[in-house]
Amino acid sequence: MNTKDRRSVGKDEAKTIIMTAITGGAFGLLYGYGFELSLWLGVLTGALFGAAIGFRISKRPPRMEYPIAIFHRIMLAATFMLLASFGYSYLLDQNLSQPQQYWAAALPFLGWTVLVISIGWAIASLDEMQRRIQTEAIAIGFAGTAIFVGGYALFQFAGLGEVNVGLVILAMSVFWLAGKLWTLWRYR
Amino acid sequence: MKSKLKILRAERDWSQAQLAEALGVSRQTINAIETGKYDPSLPLAFKMARLFDCSIEDIFIPDENEK
Repeated sequence: MNTKDRRSVGKDEAKTIIMTAITGGAFGLLYGYGFELSLWLGVLTGALFGAAIGFRISKRPPRMEYPIAIFHRIMLAATFMLLASFGYSYLLDQNLSQPQQYWAAALPFLGWTVLVISIGWAIASLDEMQRRIQTEAIAIGFAGTAIFVGGYALFQFAGLGEVNVGLVILAMSVFWLAGKLWTLWRYR
Repeated sequence: MKSKLKILRAERDWSQAQLAEALGVSRQTINAIETGKYDPSLPLAFKMARLFDCSIEDIFIPDENEK
């Protein structure tokens, strides 16, 4: 590897860490606000957590062949989605008129659409087995979330308190990660 | 399904990464095919056959219960 290549890899690593830190910060901002915790603490914790994940990814890239540029694009889309969701939560607390509230409620849809499209692009760029791994992980994530949400609804009917809807996204992420680890282990 | 991919690759002294690059797939995919954990699609099997200059049947052997 020549000096130019090494510099380019170093630049990619730094970019990955910065992007995951920003996404983590946006995640912390949304959850800090949603759960009425300290915003700064949320952003800082999220950014540190994101940077740690970015550092891990840059040092030992996952055995996926899609270009790191697509990963960066997903991080960008996730940041946009999280900030749009934060914007929605913030605006709803600002005594808006009813039509304005509807417009604010449309914000996260935009963010979600951008994120889903970017993930779709990333999956389409994978090879056939990696695509299968991702598809199975998404199916497990979807099934796990459906069981979790459906199951919690039953407990709620039985008297358990209401929870923040943001927990659904968290549950989805956890089940997707579990599905990914499971399928990676299966095809290891 | 069993495969002779590992043998064919070894005969040419190729690493999994080199074969993966020649086929346009990940090294993980080659590993999963070699260990019998993943059966490739027909287009990928044809690509392999072309690369090794043999037929698909020369690379892949169906399991007894698949025959």
